[in-house]
Amino acid sequence: MKIKDSLKSAVGIFQHGKLRSALTMLGIVIGIASVIILMSIGQSAQDYILNQVQSVGSNLVFIIPGGSTNGRLSSPAASQGIVITSLRQQDIDALKREPSIDAAVPQVRGQADVVYGDNDVRVTYEGATADFFSVLNYKTQKGYPFVKDDVDSSNHVAVIGSALAETLFGQNINPINKSIRLGNSTFRIVGVLEKKGTGAFGIDQDNLVLIPITVAQGEMLGINYFQSIVIQANAAYDVNFVKSRITSVMRQNHGITDPNKDDFTIETQEDILAVLGSITSVMTLFLAAIASISLVVGGIGIMNIMLVSVVERTREIGLRKAVGATENDILQQFLVESVTLTFLGGVIGVAFGALIVGAAYLILTNFISGWSFELPLSAVFLAVLVSTITGMVFGIYPARQAARKNPIEALRYE
Amino acid sequence: MIEVSNLEKTYNDDGNETAALQDISFKIEKGEFVSIIGPSGSGKSTLLHILSFLDRPTAGRYAFFGKSIDDMTDIELARVRNKEMGFVFQSFNLLSRISVYENVEIPLIYSDIAISQRKKMVEDAVRSVGLEEKLYTEAGKLSGGQKQRVAIARALVNNPNVIFADEPTGNLDSKSGAQVMDILDNLNDKGHTIILVTHETYTAEFANRIIRLKDGLVESDAPVGKVRRSKGEFFK
Repeated sequence: MKIKDSLKSAVGIFQHGKLRSALTMLGIVIGIASVIILMSIGQSAQDYILNQVQSVGSNLVFIIPGGSTNGRLSSPAASQGIVITSLRQQDIDALKREPSIDAAVPQVRGQADVVYGDNDVRVTYEGATADFFSVLNYKTQKGYPFVKDDVDSSNHVAVIGSALAETLFGQNINPINKSIRLGNSTFRIVGVLEKKGTGAFGIDQDNLVLIPITVAQGEMLGINYFQSIVIQANAAYDVNFVKSRITSVMRQNHGITDPNKDDFTIETQEDILAVLGSITSVMTLFLAAIASISLVVGGIGIMNIMLVSVVERTREIGLRKAVGATENDILQQFLVESVTLTFLGGVIGVAFGALIVGAAYLILTNFISGWSFELPLSAVFLAVLVSTITGMVFGIYPARQAARKNPIEALRYE
Repeated sequence: MIEVSNLEKTYNDDGNETAALQDISFKIEKGEFVSIIGPSGSGKSTLLHILSFLDRPTAGRYAFFGKSIDDMTDIELARVRNKEMGFVFQSFNLLSRISVYENVEIPLIYSDIAISQRKKMVEDAVRSVGLEEKLYTEAGKLSGGQKQRVAIARALVNNPNVIFADEPTGNLDSKSGAQVMDILDNLNDKGHTIILVTHETYTAEFANRIIRLKDGLVESDAPVGKVRRSKGEFFK
């Protein structure tokens, strides 16, 4: 029996029982659509996160206070809420002397209420130096970033995020040169940042207030240490070399001889990208694995209907065998039917999933800038392949049942 | 063409052996029209199944065109059934959801005949039973007589040497039955061997030889002595 004949027969069966075929396919359609949706959204989320990390700036190395047990973003003390005061100005000065380092930017941050008129919003503020803006890729859409003199003189100037500007001032008032209260201090707004979205580390950069680090340390937080340092490596140097140089400078500065007792952790952008990438990949695969359970359920549905079909078509099987069909011919015919059913289910599932992903994209772009539409071709091929294999796996048993029928008994079947 | 000697068929049902056929021996030459008759349980259907390769004998020898079926695999038997044999059943066994054309085409899809050649073969077969205007009608919408004529078209589409007809008029009124017997008669005239199983003596007498079975044994095997029955006589 030629495959073309088997296909023609399968199409005829589906046309004859459209509703039954559609319902049988439904499990596969839902399963494949779920896999496509989760893989696509997972891919979009991964791209989004990676873009956010890359958009922070280029050739960046981060120094976080506290050692890590294996040096791979495992659990630096600072991220567990333990206050470590080891990062100081002398570290910045020493790092700036390294030829492989272009800039060393200290960071502190806290939370406070920002007030303008009747508007009162809880925000994260960040203490910044003048080169913070260029190193971390913060651009102003209105006004200017504050300068070195503002930092050195502890001037009460602030640059605010675009969303915060709109919350406090609306669309009609120009925030530049307006005064806001942050905590107990008053700041003059000198700039408004471009829209940037939520950053890689969970900080909503559009609702951020940037103030000179000297003011943040002295007046707002009352500390004399830094919470982190961002290094911009000289592009001429390999980033791992820069990392080793930073390690050596920091150990020398902190008088550390035993590498296991480092009181700081160094992460490059690549390290962060690798960790975030692997987390999102694992999450995507995990979710796809859960979604594939519905494929198994769909496959069992296919097997069930095919078994019913074999019983219903017992006389047909007997007739086909009588007129010359071999066991393999019958096996092929029923297998082609189940595979065609799951293949079609897979194709419809991919289309349905793509529609949902498209709709999700249209909705999410309103809330998350930089969200992309991703429909990985590999996921499409994989989905169709998996649905086809599902048809084979769950179709083989009913097909064998059909092929092994005794023609005489089959012809007598009532 | 067909030669059986000392054929036996025994069914084993939970240790109880039942002899359906015993010591059956005869020859059927190409072009014969043979009726196998006998009461219910005489073994005629069992014999038909063995002659048409749907079953194997328990003992004895069956040679088809000189070749013993003992030497043939199940796949070879299927190939011979497809090329050399046609089947007409009492209950037609048409697939009601598909057209007359598609029903008649079924034996051809298991042959090595090219798809391009099939159309003419199907049209010729359907024309030979006078149903060319019903070619694309769904088989389920035909009358009983028309269904059996489609079944005959399906049986002869591959131009087989032998057509096995198992009670072909059993589900038909006398007029349709007469048409069916007439068609089988004409096919015999064109050289097809017809082996007809029936319990109706007057249908059996369309043949030129009657093998009468009783209790699994050949009771008699004799030519129909007089002039074969005509269609008109079928109505009586």
